[in-house]
Amino acid sequence: MAFNFNWSPLIADTDRVRDMLTSSLNKSPKPPIIVDDIIVNELNLGSTPPELEILEIGDLAEDRFRGIFKMSYTGDAYLTLKTRVQANPLNTYLSTKPSFASPQPLAASSGLTIPLQITLSDIRLSGFVILVFSKQKGITLVFRNDPLESLKVSSTFDSIPFVRDYLQKTIESQLRVLFMEDLPAIIHRLSLRMFSPEYQTAENQERSKAVADGEVPVDPFAGPAQQPVDSAGMPLDGSAPFTLDAPTETYASFSQKNLLRLATLTESQRTLSLFTPGMRDTVYRAWASAADREVANDASTPMLSRPPTLSRIQSTLGSQSGWSSAASQTSDVPSTATRPSLASFASAPTVYSLSSGAPRTRPGRKRKNRVVNLRKDKGDGKDVSETASVSSSGYTASASGSAGPSVEAATGPSSLSNTQILREGEINTPPRSPKKKVGFQQQSVDDSARPQRNDSTIRGRPVTPQTRHSSHMQAADDNDDTPRASMILPEKPTEVEEKRPRRPQRQPLPRMQTLQERPRPAQLNRSSSSEVSLQNLATSAFAGEGSNGGILEQAWMMKMATEIAKRVSDEKGKQQAWRPAEGNEGFDGGEAPPAYVS
Amino acid sequence: MLEFMDYVQTAFHAQSRWNIDNSYAALTTTAQNLLDFRIPQGLRLHVSSLSSPSFATSYTLGSNGLVDGSLSFLYSSSGLSIASKSSDIRLEHLVRGYRRLQELQRPDELHWNEIWHQGKRIDRKDALLYGRLYLPGSTLEALYLRRISPTRMLRLSGVSDASLPNGGSALALLQNDYGKYSTEYLYSTDSALLGLRGLYNFGYDPRTLVSQQPQHSTRAPAHPWDHQSGRLSAGAEAYFSPINKSGGVSCGLRFTTLPTHTGFPYTMTLTVNPLMGNLSTTYAVQAGRYMALCSRFDFNVYSYESDVVVGVELWRRKQAAADVAWASKLVRPGWSKVVEDDVNGVLKAQMDDKGKVGLLWECRVKELLVSLGAGFDLKKRERMLGSVGIEVSYSS
Repeated sequence: MAFNFNWSPLIADTDRVRDMLTSSLNKSPKPPIIVDDIIVNELNLGSTPPELEILEIGDLAEDRFRGIFKMSYTGDAYLTLKTRVQANPLNTYLSTKPSFASPQPLAASSGLTIPLQITLSDIRLSGFVILVFSKQKGITLVFRNDPLESLKVSSTFDSIPFVRDYLQKTIESQLRVLFMEDLPAIIHRLSLRMFSPEYQTAENQERSKAVADGEVPVDPFAGPAQQPVDSAGMPLDGSAPFTLDAPTETYASFSQKNLLRLATLTESQRTLSLFTPGMRDTVYRAWASAADREVANDASTPMLSRPPTLSRIQSTLGSQSGWSSAASQTSDVPSTATRPSLASFASAPTVYSLSSGAPRTRPGRKRKNRVVNLRKDKGDGKDVSETASVSSSGYTASASGSAGPSVEAATGPSSLSNTQILREGEINTPPRSPKKKVGFQQQSVDDSARPQRNDSTIRGRPVTPQTRHSSHMQAADDNDDTPRASMILPEKPTEVEEKRPRRPQRQPLPRMQTLQERPRPAQLNRSSSSEVSLQNLATSAFAGEGSNGGILEQAWMMKMATEIAKRVSDEKGKQQAWRPAEGNEGFDGGEAPPAYVS
Repeated sequence: MLEFMDYVQTAFHAQSRWNIDNSYAALTTTAQNLLDFRIPQGLRLHVSSLSSPSFATSYTLGSNGLVDGSLSFLYSSSGLSIASKSSDIRLEHLVRGYRRLQELQRPDELHWNEIWHQGKRIDRKDALLYGRLYLPGSTLEALYLRRISPTRMLRLSGVSDASLPNGGSALALLQNDYGKYSTEYLYSTDSALLGLRGLYNFGYDPRTLVSQQPQHSTRAPAHPWDHQSGRLSAGAEAYFSPINKSGGVSCGLRFTTLPTHTGFPYTMTLTVNPLMGNLSTTYAVQAGRYMALCSRFDFNVYSYESDVVVGVELWRRKQAAADVAWASKLVRPGWSKVVEDDVNGVLKAQMDDKGKVGLLWECRVKELLVSLGAGFDLKKRERMLGSVGIEVSYSS
């Protein structure tokens, strides 16, 4: 491995280094012989960089690095300091003594200040240095031993050998202290300014900016569609809740308890512990994967191409999409063949996920991609799946009711089948268990029926007709795609904001919508995102009715949905207590489904 | 204003016939009194007492920042008969102003101090013990004076403080005063500093004029520098520290007028530090009984730094009592009055070329001695008033 030193940027910014060095030199109390501040006159880092030899690399990642080097420097850097010193030794000696027992000379202790300029050059360094680089935390450089080998000190007193030797000795000792103690701090601060733009501004700005960034994945309205995958993935990084460096905004929308439980879950995965904490108000990926399999049934592209590792990653990352897909419950759904692959894909946060996948079924459908399609044209199904996963993740993020998970999971896969509808309303629609679907009924009957009813109750909209309608459509769609119900991933409510013109293929929506109705209120109670999901619901509900409605109609529906969502959120507080009870209905008594879906 | 303990010490010196002015260290006393007066900081209260002619105590309480104070005790082997009540002490004894030097006195003979009783000498050397404890800083100051002989005095002083290196330091000073000249040897335990001071007074030698009255006006000048009404003195000092391998040298010259001088008394001094290139000249004049002026000019030949300070001292006369004002007017000019304390306040001011002004007002209020001080910095527009302080002292 070779190191390529770009020595110039450091030289370009010597002003800041000079100021920092000046302030650090004047911070400690000065000896009485120095009567003025020490000012760094000139700092030239020379032309040759130090030579590094790697001894050990401890940690290597894209944004982290830790290593031990052997460093030797034989360059021509030099440093010039300027100050004023007291030339009368009697003055410095007596100025620090109490006057009672001092000889109190008449004039022998009068002072004489002399300006002094010192140039440190021919610096020879050789030692072991531990270098830790972290994108967030900057660079930390620590010397294991005293690196200073030799140093040349030249000053205005060079003609006086006594003073010259004294200065050489004193400055060498001070510099050793500087290297061991002050230099790491200076380099750390400097690196923070250079590499992390956030640190250049005030901390508040940094925090607000980070919050804004972090809100994207957290906010169910926001979606990976609006961001590149990577950056969307970053906040959604499953490690975020597990590390202390996670931006605080992550916690803004997540339940702390759930995050803790997720951390425990991750730990248990790593340590072979059998304890899997039950997490409420989450959708488990295992559930979604079952729904995904349904979608995958029709997948035109092989979903098995998805690397199983991805699913694992997704499961760990799926803090937000904690919902184990209802696939586990929907396992009896006919479309089992493709389920495994779907499952892996299904996890929500994996917007970035990727690829292949069953959800990419539905080639026929034209969808509006809310997600940036990073993959090659595998077909719409992929997008659908992505969207679905996104929406599901978003839905989970909103801490939807525990009953929701299964419903969501079911909805997720099912949504795939109705890509277009999902585009607009479906994504908004929280995932519903494929209750209406044939075959899915059993699993989601309890789940979706209730939400459905509740939805109707809460929203005051007649659900039944939609249900009927959806059942129609369900039957119709079944021919087309894999069971949609299971594949109705919880669409990200962010889609709600995108008031795209409704597609004619809105029919599946009502089905999904009804399926999800029961958990919907619980989910809606959670947060604003739940309101959005309610909006999704509403929109999807109406979508089914007026499948060929115009844009205006859709917009009006959206508005209605928003209002209803608001109303529901108002009742959130009242239904808080009610929520947990309902939440457990989705799966038995809070027992967590397996984190991994094989 | 002198603190009570310093006042007692001065009385001790006077009682034991020690001329504190005949020393190189006191070459510029007048200028220091008029220009380098200490301005009180914060609030300070002194309560002192001369419980017996040999024993004095003093307590101070200050609020400069934190509340601090000190206790001090003084013991003198020879009884001091001085006015100790704060209402009786003469303000001129407490407030150091223009230092009017007296004629040189011939040192006392050794046998003058002998006191015999029943065949044995029972006279004792005068000694003074003084200790001061600062609280809460836990600093202890100690002083021991001993008049070994009429021409020799030993002074041992020490400071003990945990924050000082080696826990403190001690200074031993042996002073010899032979009238015409004086020498001092000192040793400080802090960095083993050795010092030597010497002062030589030009003019007549008081030792030679044994029987004659010092009638300077009739005496012929011994040499061109011998002004009858003035005295020229020259001195030098040298310090050396074998541990630090550092030292210092300085020399000085002073000319002061004697009481026989007609006209305003004045004093001129010149001190030189040849190693550092520092020159300092002062000129002080007592322009009247109640006013004194002084100026000082410092200059450094190496760094060309210069400094000018001017100071003034004004005494406030006591207003004659209204009921006897008519009588005092009838007193004939020639009749001399008992010199009473006819001043009840003094104002001191000093100003330097950097815009720093110091004001000090000392007076007697009822039974208390009050001194108010303020320091200004005219260069700083926004914060002109630097430090203000008040000291109240009471003694009994």
